[in-house]
Amino acid sequence: MSQLQARFFTDNKKYVIDDVPFSIPAVSEITDLSNVINKLLEGKNGDHKHVEFDFLVQGQFLRSSLATHLETENISTEEVVEIEYVEKYTAPQPEECIMHDDWISSVEADSEWILTGSYDKTARIWSLEGKAVATVAGHTDVVKGVAWVKRDGLSSLLLTASLDQTVLLWEWSSERNKLRARHCCRGHAGSVDTISVDPTRSKFCSGSWDKMLKIWSAEMSEESNRPRKKQKTEQLGPTRTPLMTLSGHTEAVSSVLWMDTEELCSASWDHTIRLWDAETGSQKNMLTGSKVFNCISYSPLCHRLATGSTDRHVRLWDPRSKDGSLVLLSLTSHTGWVTAVRWSPSHEQQLISGSLDNLVKLWDTRSCKAPLYDLAAHEDKVLCADWTDCGLILSGGADNKLYTYRYSACLSDAGA
Amino acid sequence: SVGRGGACTTSAPSLHITFSLSLSLSLSLSLSLSLSLSLSLAFCSQDIRNTVGNIPMEWYKDYPHIGYDLDGKKIFKPIRNKDELDEFLDKMENPDYWRTIHDKMTGTDVCLSDEQVDLVHRLQQGKFGDVNFNEYEPAIDFFSNEVMIHPVTNRPADKRSFIPSLIEKEKVGKLVHAIKMGWIKPRRPKETAPQYYDLWAKEDPNAILGRHKMHIPAPKMRLPGHEESYNPPPEYLLTDEERQVWEQQDPDERKLSFLPQKYLSLRAVPAFSRFIQERFERCLDLYLCPRQRKMRVNVNPEDLIPKLPRPRDLQPFPTLQSLVYHGHSSLIRSISISPSGQWLVSGSDDCTVRFWEVCTTRCLKTMEVGGPVKSVAWNPAPSISLVAVSYGENVILVNPGLGDRLICSATDQLISSYEEPEEVKDQQVQWAVPEGKAQEQGQRLILTHPKAVKQVSWHGRGDYLACVMPDDGSSLQVVIHQVSRRRTQNPFHRNKGAVQCVSFHPSRPYFLVATQRYVRVYNLIKQELTKKLMANCKWISSMAVHPGGDNVICGSYDCRLAWFDLDLSTKPYKVLRHHKKALRGVAYHKHYPLFASGSDDGTVIVCHGMVYNDLLQNPLIVPVKVLKGHIITHDLGVLDVAFHPTQPWVFSSGADGTVRLFT
Repeated sequence: MSQLQARFFTDNKKYVIDDVPFSIPAVSEITDLSNVINKLLEGKNGDHKHVEFDFLVQGQFLRSSLATHLETENISTEEVVEIEYVEKYTAPQPEECIMHDDWISSVEADSEWILTGSYDKTARIWSLEGKAVATVAGHTDVVKGVAWVKRDGLSSLLLTASLDQTVLLWEWSSERNKLRARHCCRGHAGSVDTISVDPTRSKFCSGSWDKMLKIWSAEMSEESNRPRKKQKTEQLGPTRTPLMTLSGHTEAVSSVLWMDTEELCSASWDHTIRLWDAETGSQKNMLTGSKVFNCISYSPLCHRLATGSTDRHVRLWDPRSKDGSLVLLSLTSHTGWVTAVRWSPSHEQQLISGSLDNLVKLWDTRSCKAPLYDLAAHEDKVLCADWTDCGLILSGGADNKLYTYRYSACLSDAGA
Repeated sequence: SVGRGGACTTSAPSLHITFSLSLSLSLSLSLSLSLSLSLSLAFCSQDIRNTVGNIPMEWYKDYPHIGYDLDGKKIFKPIRNKDELDEFLDKMENPDYWRTIHDKMTGTDVCLSDEQVDLVHRLQQGKFGDVNFNEYEPAIDFFSNEVMIHPVTNRPADKRSFIPSLIEKEKVGKLVHAIKMGWIKPRRPKETAPQYYDLWAKEDPNAILGRHKMHIPAPKMRLPGHEESYNPPPEYLLTDEERQVWEQQDPDERKLSFLPQKYLSLRAVPAFSRFIQERFERCLDLYLCPRQRKMRVNVNPEDLIPKLPRPRDLQPFPTLQSLVYHGHSSLIRSISISPSGQWLVSGSDDCTVRFWEVCTTRCLKTMEVGGPVKSVAWNPAPSISLVAVSYGENVILVNPGLGDRLICSATDQLISSYEEPEEVKDQQVQWAVPEGKAQEQGQRLILTHPKAVKQVSWHGRGDYLACVMPDDGSSLQVVIHQVSRRRTQNPFHRNKGAVQCVSFHPSRPYFLVATQRYVRVYNLIKQELTKKLMANCKWISSMAVHPGGDNVICGSYDCRLAWFDLDLSTKPYKVLRHHKKALRGVAYHKHYPLFASGSDDGTVIVCHGMVYNDLLQNPLIVPVKVLKGHIITHDLGVLDVAFHPTQPWVFSSGADGTVRLFT
């Protein structure tokens, strides 16, 4: 088999070529195919600039020569092979390296600010350019989780969860750079490892080592009616008690998120992912895995859950399946525990994962054998990662560094 | 009898005369011979020949003559007037007396010549009379198998040789007649009844004890090897030293019963001197070989291997090294996991105790103590947050301040709420409350023992703490502390052997004490020895009790791991020898059917150890994984192993200063 018939097609109107089958050598690699497409495009309009393309055969990225790919995927070479081509995603561009004093346990960024939680018992606010803006000090133990709640103009609300079993709700005004602890959420009997704010920005949920999930109100309460004496004693703001406690996990809760305003999803050390009804507090569904779950992420674009476990795999789940465990796909390339996964907010097939093998990997679900890119900047364990709406990838780890990358592929793809 | 005469010297015709010769020879031979001789009587000038013939001469006894001569004239008897005296004188004087004979035919005395004496001697010896006669002349075979041109006889063949014999015809006719008449029976039929019969003819060939099945083959001889060759390869020949050793050995102890020797050729091999002896021994072997039939069962060797499930089917169990906890600068003797599984404590020879976060390998706390830490133990009660740390002669109880704040403060309160009793008993162990920095670090109580403490072990409820001070022969080797009342007991007034480790039974009021060779199970309520387990090993190093309470594993310094089923026997139910070097630590998992052992060879071996509720079913033990990772330092590998309380994960601490987590 030296030649095979292939038909190229694309969704991108900019790069459409004639819909005729071509005879191409079976041993051609991506670069060869890319050259072919570029030649064709040049022939079509003279001012075409060279573009690198990636190719998909039946929804799978081509990563080896065409012949071996077809053989491994068991695709017949007798018929015309349909090959889709897309503009090649450019590698994430490293932007900043933000040094911390201690390990970075959690990170969350929005369009303006980066919030990181650290093992030095503080959380920090950074500008996107890597400038230290504020230090959130108040916890008596390691900060394990951070989250932005909302921003009204120049004042923002943010949350920090800590090993000292509390979640603190802070108010930060970026104009005056003033930070105030507004509420101290007590109730957990173990370290609070994860927090997640609901899409309406009025509630948040926390998961703890004590196997509980607690839903709290994120609203600011009026403090005028509080006795002054009590305010003094409570330096971290009035104590807040949970609205609801969801119990059901038999082991520590490692990760929690809101799938929509009424549905919660939590991953735990008891090898299960549980879906909860946020209104009634009842468990709706349970997905059972075989390993401890470290992290979970949900993409509203493709309605899939991605989990990282204490093995080498990133697994994709369909939360709507009713029959218990159903792993759609395993992404295998890491060599250590996967500690962080995050779906792309704008691309339904891309996600990042961070692992204890010091790597952050950028995946496309259409290529489950090999990641699109390895981001090998960290010198120690990667503990957290985030992906903002504006295409910024962040990862922090045990080497005290927070790396940020600009990833533009999603934008160009979105524009296409 | 007729003899053949010799040649006569006289002209007289030779006569065949017969006479009896009575000789008495001087050679003291007394002979009486009957001889037939032809004698030529040379001494007679005149031929006087008696013609009476061969008649008895007694017939002429009464006559004056004794016969007649050729002319028919009487031959008169010679006058014999010799008396006895004359005879004697003659015998004495006559030298020829011995050869003088009396001729009865003529009545004269004849003196035999030398030839005649010779002849007599020859005849006496049974030889031929003629000296020249060759009795061994070559024989000529006339009637030989060789067909000669000229036949010896030329007689024509007899007629009877070619015509049928009438006599035979007559005889045959008679026989035919007799047969016809029935007088004789031709060819009497042979007796059909067999002379012998098959003794086992009626035997059932399928009988279990059938003859063919009871066959006992003779014991086989060993086939000769190269050393028995006349020209063995040089390595089979004994050197002088070996030969000396061989000679000094007792014949029964010798490996070879002979000395291999080399000869140039097979022809040069001498006769085997021990042949008879060896044959005799072989006969003895055959004769004395046991005739008892061995009931051999035909067993397929594959069937003897117990059917163990495949390790793949026994998941989950730890398979990979996932995390490494770096920080200690010296070997880590002991590790312990908090009951929640969130924290890990390790005690090292660098005089520090470190508290780690399990899932991130973060060292949250480092506490320096005044000596190399021998043992750490996290209180198993979930409602108490205490860690016992032993170093030197001290045991400190540390509140690590990790986990639930309420529990930590409750623990502090529990310890500080102690009130001194009115009458203070004199205790062998000093209880002290640390102050200052130590208090800030979390140390809550310091227990000073009279001797170095090697191991600490908590009771499941978390109030009692057992400490081991190994010292052979001492009465104070094990003490049990009650933390809430700050009281110390010495449960044993006398210990046999050096105590290695102790453990509380997880559910019953039992206390297990492991000495070098035995594990003794004491009932703490009845205060008596319940069981004594014999480990069959030289030196027990570690012990763990199954959470179900009926099984115990012991690791020993002689590379063995013994599994005891307390209900079954005091001997090990199974002994595993998978490690190459001494075992240092063993552990059971609290929920999963797993146990692990760490060894000086740097490996942790995880085994599936399923204990069934059914009393009839023995525990199933399957080694599932060898976990490597620790670097062997100073000949020490893994020093302690511990399981995660909820996950199928195993921690191991090693001499390389790391704790490793395998998942």
